[in-house]
Amino acid sequence: MERSRQERDSGAPAATARPPVVPAPGRGTPSPGVAHPAAPGPPAWRPARQARWRRHWGVAVWMLPAALVMALVFGYSVVELYVQAVTNQGSWAGLANVRLVLSDPYFRAAIEHNLQLLIAVPVLAALGLFLAILVYEGLRGWRAYRFMIFLPYILPVPVIAVVFSQLLQQNGALNEILGKLGLGVLAANWLGDPNVSLWAMMGVIIWREAGFAFVLFLARLLSLPQETQEAARIDGAGFFSLHWRITIPQLRSVIWFYAVIEGITMISWVFNYVYIMSNGQGGPGDSTMVTELYIYQNAFQFNAPQLAAAAAALLFTVLVAVFALGLGVRALVLWRRSRSQDAERGLRLTPVSGHGGEAVWPG
Amino acid sequence: MAKVSGTAASRPSSGRRNHLHRPAALRVWGTCALAGALALGIAACGGTSGQSAGTAVSTPGTAPGPATTKVPSGPIHLTMWWWGQQEAPGASAWLAQTIAAYHKLHPNVTITTVLQTTNGLIPAFDAAAKAGQGPDIQYFWGGIYSQEPGWAGNIRPVSDYIPASELHHYLNAYREDTYQGHVWTAPWYLQPSFPLLYRKDILAAHHIAVPTTWNQLIAACKTLKAAGITPMAGGVSDGWFGGWLYSMLGGQQITSVKQVLDAVVGKGSFTSADLASWWSRLAQMKSSGCWNSSITSQQLYQGQQAFVQGKAAMTVSAGTAVPGFVKQVGVSKVGLMAMPTFGSGPYAGKLGATSQTVGITRWSKYPTVDANFIMFMHTPARLLAWYKATGDLPADDRFPVSDVTLPQVRQLFNMEVHGAPYLENFIPSQLDSEGNFANAQLVLGGSETGAQAAAKFQQVATRVRITDSKEMADFTRWAQSVAG
Repeated sequence: MERSRQERDSGAPAATARPPVVPAPGRGTPSPGVAHPAAPGPPAWRPARQARWRRHWGVAVWMLPAALVMALVFGYSVVELYVQAVTNQGSWAGLANVRLVLSDPYFRAAIEHNLQLLIAVPVLAALGLFLAILVYEGLRGWRAYRFMIFLPYILPVPVIAVVFSQLLQQNGALNEILGKLGLGVLAANWLGDPNVSLWAMMGVIIWREAGFAFVLFLARLLSLPQETQEAARIDGAGFFSLHWRITIPQLRSVIWFYAVIEGITMISWVFNYVYIMSNGQGGPGDSTMVTELYIYQNAFQFNAPQLAAAAAALLFTVLVAVFALGLGVRALVLWRRSRSQDAERGLRLTPVSGHGGEAVWPG
Repeated sequence: MAKVSGTAASRPSSGRRNHLHRPAALRVWGTCALAGALALGIAACGGTSGQSAGTAVSTPGTAPGPATTKVPSGPIHLTMWWWGQQEAPGASAWLAQTIAAYHKLHPNVTITTVLQTTNGLIPAFDAAAKAGQGPDIQYFWGGIYSQEPGWAGNIRPVSDYIPASELHHYLNAYREDTYQGHVWTAPWYLQPSFPLLYRKDILAAHHIAVPTTWNQLIAACKTLKAAGITPMAGGVSDGWFGGWLYSMLGGQQITSVKQVLDAVVGKGSFTSADLASWWSRLAQMKSSGCWNSSITSQQLYQGQQAFVQGKAAMTVSAGTAVPGFVKQVGVSKVGLMAMPTFGSGPYAGKLGATSQTVGITRWSKYPTVDANFIMFMHTPARLLAWYKATGDLPADDRFPVSDVTLPQVRQLFNMEVHGAPYLENFIPSQLDSEGNFANAQLVLGGSETGAQAAAKFQQVATRVRITDSKEMADFTRWAQSVAG
């Protein structure tokens, strides 16, 4: 016989611990209008509540060390960050630091470049999806492809950045190959031309990060039920319509997850690429300056920690806001979808005679 | 990069060499000149330094001069915190030998050395200053790093303990390390910068005379370019070369570093003709095909390889790297000169250099002994030993340069003795990075004109004045103390 929840929590047999329970509205709270049986000792709701409290306290106690560590490591840092952002050499500066940062052409360029890098997110998602579906479809030698596509992702970013710094030089291997293929017209000063350098870096980022998208999507694809796809095929769905109408909708949640992760990456996780490929300068000029490098330079090279803190606080605030907004939008979408599904199902409610006319779910 | 403030040029590089340092020149063989033989000279240096006790010193300004440099009797223990092994391998062994030799002369004096890390040099000294205890002798990078501890009151002027007749031999002492008439730190060794190396074989093959004027240089560029030879090889993707170019070209029109300091603090403008014309010259070099086409996508050392390989006729080198290039290419094939001149200022046609220095701390109990040891470091035997141990040039015009084998190094030293201020040391690091590095990339990439670069440079300078008030206060003080 299954043990009751209280029994599990308290460790005592439910029969001895549980007094007669009087149904009560709400979350076990006795309604003022409900008469309780006269009984010695605590009210009937109390043991259940006590058990819940004990359970909650137990959870809290177990979580306390981790919570303290989080508060110290993360909470303290964040608070300190905001404090530094509004002070200058220990004196209150209000929003002066923020204003200085916002008026800095380098910071504005950095923000612009981070936003431009967001273009890589849909590209990555589409590329990863395409490759994953190809392999999923049983591409000949798919294991080798899987390895090759994922390989860049396990390489350290500094290694990749150094290698591509060489490849993408004016007289580097890429331009030489293009020249030998008769495609010299496509050759460019990939990292030395301010009009091209950010896009070249984006290409390197896509080359590496696509491996993550591929593996993520492939793993989800492999977990999908085969029946749906087989049914669609039997119904005559072609490759495109099958995946567009059947597969991708089933991957929606993982695609969303990936987009969020990569969005964060493009905003606040590209420092390694930029630092190494531009030799810590964000150049030529400010053409590859990103917010992380801006923060780093101000904090450690230009003796302006207050500006670094202001920029970091801005970045953090905006990221949290965007993330929260994204979650909110997603929750709203899910809620609306759920409601519309309910409504659809509601249309199919069938009054069943003999039950007093109330509607019941069919089936 | 270790430093977080101050002049970018004075910051050490993370590699063996600091390609970013500067220069100076001065002389005077003081009391040690009484000694003839080397051993006697060493002994005399310690002994005669006491003879200068109480002598008035004719340092510029208000310097009172040394009280005494006599080494007291009784056990004395000194501590020296230093840096330099990182950029001058062999320095550690030289210092150990020097201390041993000094101990032989003064058995009552023992010296302990602590080699600091690049990142730890300044923070460790700042912590010691707060505690009021730590080293007796402290190492300082040149430029503003040798000024700031004096402004903060953490060191004593070495000119209070070392005779002017001696200090005048220390290269850069009066150019970079002097404030309000006091010499605050004593130069130790040189960071010469930046000669233009040329390949005699390539120039001769194309019947080109060594260019000494700007027009000759531009003409040579066009001739070489037409012949398929890269005239000059470099790389700016790592930025530093922008600072070098500033030092080589930016000083040609100015009459004093005060012009630069004034522009930094807002009393002048970097768009004025004297301070801005070099950007147009740089753009002219670009348009005349002087530089390798890959200069914006390569790091400096990558660009320099074209010179070694015989694909480029000229390149720019750190002074400390000259022997390496000469040995790789061939002694007879490499010539050395300052950047050809377009300006008529006193610094045109001269090499800039800086000196790494040592100072005497405020809390040292034996400042006279500290000074005595510093002077011992400058005795001829130790100067020559320094060069042999490290391959670097000591910051002293008494260095017996005739003992150096490579003619290019001899020439370099002589040019440094009569050198010019290393300009990059006179601007804040942020201005160097966002002003010089970034705009040199754009000008050499053809994306920006000289006038645009000068305007952007001025914008950065204006901004730095707002964002780093503390550093501006230091620069203001510095600008006030430098004669125009």
